[in-house]
Amino acid sequence: MSRQKLESLGLKLPLFPTTSVGSFPKPDYLTKARAEFNKKQMSEKDLHDLERKATAFWIEEQERLGIDVLVDGEMYRGDMVAYFAERLPGFSISGLVRSYGNRYYHKPIISGEVAWRSPLTVDWWKYAQSLTKKPVKGMLTGGYTILDWSFNEFYPDRRSAALALAKVVRKEVEALIAAGCKIIQIDEPALSVRPEELPIALEAMEFTTTGQHAYFITHACYGEFDKIYPGMLDLAVDNFDLEMSNSDLDLLELFRGHPFTKDISFGVVDVHSHRTDSSEVVRERIKQALTILPKEGVWVDPDCGLKTRTVEQAIEKLRACVTAAKSFRNA
Amino acid sequence: MSATTGLYLSSTGSYPRIGDSPELQALRRTIAALDRGERSHADLLDVQNEVTRHVIAEQVKAGLDVTTDGLIRWYDPISHLAGKLDNIEIKGLVRFFDTNTYFRQPVFVGAPIKRGNLVAGEYSFARNALGHLPTPQGKAGKLSLKPVLTGPYTLGKFSLSEQSGHGSSKAFASLEARVEAYAEILASEFEPLSQAGAELIQIDEPAAIKYPNDWAIFEASLAPLMQAHDKIRKSGRKVELALYVYFHDCAPLYEKLLTLPVDIVGLDFTYSPKLVDLVASTGSPKWLGLGIIDGRNTKLEDPVQIARQVERMLPKIKDQRAFLGPSSGLEYLPRDRAVTKLELLSKVRAELEGQKRP
Repeated sequence: MSRQKLESLGLKLPLFPTTSVGSFPKPDYLTKARAEFNKKQMSEKDLHDLERKATAFWIEEQERLGIDVLVDGEMYRGDMVAYFAERLPGFSISGLVRSYGNRYYHKPIISGEVAWRSPLTVDWWKYAQSLTKKPVKGMLTGGYTILDWSFNEFYPDRRSAALALAKVVRKEVEALIAAGCKIIQIDEPALSVRPEELPIALEAMEFTTTGQHAYFITHACYGEFDKIYPGMLDLAVDNFDLEMSNSDLDLLELFRGHPFTKDISFGVVDVHSHRTDSSEVVRERIKQALTILPKEGVWVDPDCGLKTRTVEQAIEKLRACVTAAKSFRNA
Repeated sequence: MSATTGLYLSSTGSYPRIGDSPELQALRRTIAALDRGERSHADLLDVQNEVTRHVIAEQVKAGLDVTTDGLIRWYDPISHLAGKLDNIEIKGLVRFFDTNTYFRQPVFVGAPIKRGNLVAGEYSFARNALGHLPTPQGKAGKLSLKPVLTGPYTLGKFSLSEQSGHGSSKAFASLEARVEAYAEILASEFEPLSQAGAELIQIDEPAAIKYPNDWAIFEASLAPLMQAHDKIRKSGRKVELALYVYFHDCAPLYEKLLTLPVDIVGLDFTYSPKLVDLVASTGSPKWLGLGIIDGRNTKLEDPVQIARQVERMLPKIKDQRAFLGPSSGLEYLPRDRAVTKLELLSKVRAELEGQKRP
């Protein structure tokens, strides 16, 4: 069904299309530049130029590796929620809070009515797409996850905050489609965090994508999917991008109990390890997937964003995805 | 008896370990430098000690009666304890409840063995640090510091046993076996904690209310802890055991929680809109921890409104003795807002006493 949708959008993808979840590691020169910018030792224009340079690097690398559906790599983003919160009216930014280990971030605060004034990602998408003939995904974060990863000081309850944010994300979706984007990923990693709130997440995504002519993917990870499956299949997207390897493919057991009815971007390499799984291990994961899922609906990618890896490690992990996908394509 | 008889202002556990100013980021800088090989573990220990002193001082300054060391040394609530045991390996990251924070998952590769103390050494340092602080006016003999331990059920629930394991690790394939093993180990920590001066020990069991189907396993895990607790009491030393639950609606389990053998039950009110009514109507035969201040959201509560809620509940609680605090540890908030939340507790008490402070 979704292959037909892709074709209706003018996209002809091979079997086992390869892609990635979104973020790539920033080259050292960009990490240094961002630190200098934060200390006001670098101008915004100079930083922007380096972000464009790094984006071009990653587009070229993805082309070279033979990836089918590209991403811009998010060279201009720090955090997937803060990037939007820093640019949307209604948000303020808190002091630092801890994520894990020695990682901290400025968690957004919803302190007023959120609103969309102008595109937030379209110029970056246009730039990345101008560098390749292959499709580049528009990359957004969903309203439910933006809510869940923010402090809410304004809206009376979580549902009203999530729906207000979904309205904002819908505007950005419209802007991406107007710019020519055909595949849009709306990440909802918080989807499974509060199973009792799945209806809110479903409602927010419905509000964001209904009536919009694009192929929609969502990425979700680190959760208790057994608590929201198969209800999560009602999410108004075409493709679920799921972290499969880190959990030893245990989601496949759920799919055995109730058929998985969407396309899937099947995470075949763990992103938390420095080393890359062997090609045999990666191939075995795809083989396991195909015992349950129809091959027409299976995409291949890493488990999650690769920004915490080195550039070299990220490239190796992407290469493992492409090599494995091609071997099944030609089988 | 005044309206605040027995109302203690209490920490619920963790505290933000860094702030936004450069001087409050020493811990972050030191860990990063340690990772680069530019600092030693001794340097890290020095900074952890300094930050621990600082966060205890902040709690005292904010007006708390019962403080903690802020769990500053903990990587996370699970691996900090499990990682100190032999035959447990610490693996990948897993999300901690519905927080956007992560813990490293323990995996049993054999029977866990405790070689030294888990937190008694840390507790001893922190208690000493509290003792060296100037005592605020009116607080002489009233300040204390409690150790916090993640409970055996939560530890067991979030641990795995080696899948390909055989022999000794296979014995821990069941949740019951893992929880039982942790319970015995945690129980053995009570004596050194008591020896170090702990008169109140807090056990955190957030998983117990999230997975109520495992209630029997959870309840059974308290037996070794209570035996250790009773043994200390029989030796003539004071010790109270507090069980704290959070990150889920505890109202449906309220009455069951009150049947547990612990001395104090700490409740998270932020998930349970009707919990105040429930406590006010049902009462409690146990002392309660009242986690009414939201430890997960920056939005500040109205101290007058909180005071009215406490006023309704306190007369129904055993001995009118309760511990007012945040709904959970405060590490989910930025440092400045954590301080403000604690200061809010003093405003609630002032409101209850009818002596509003400037």
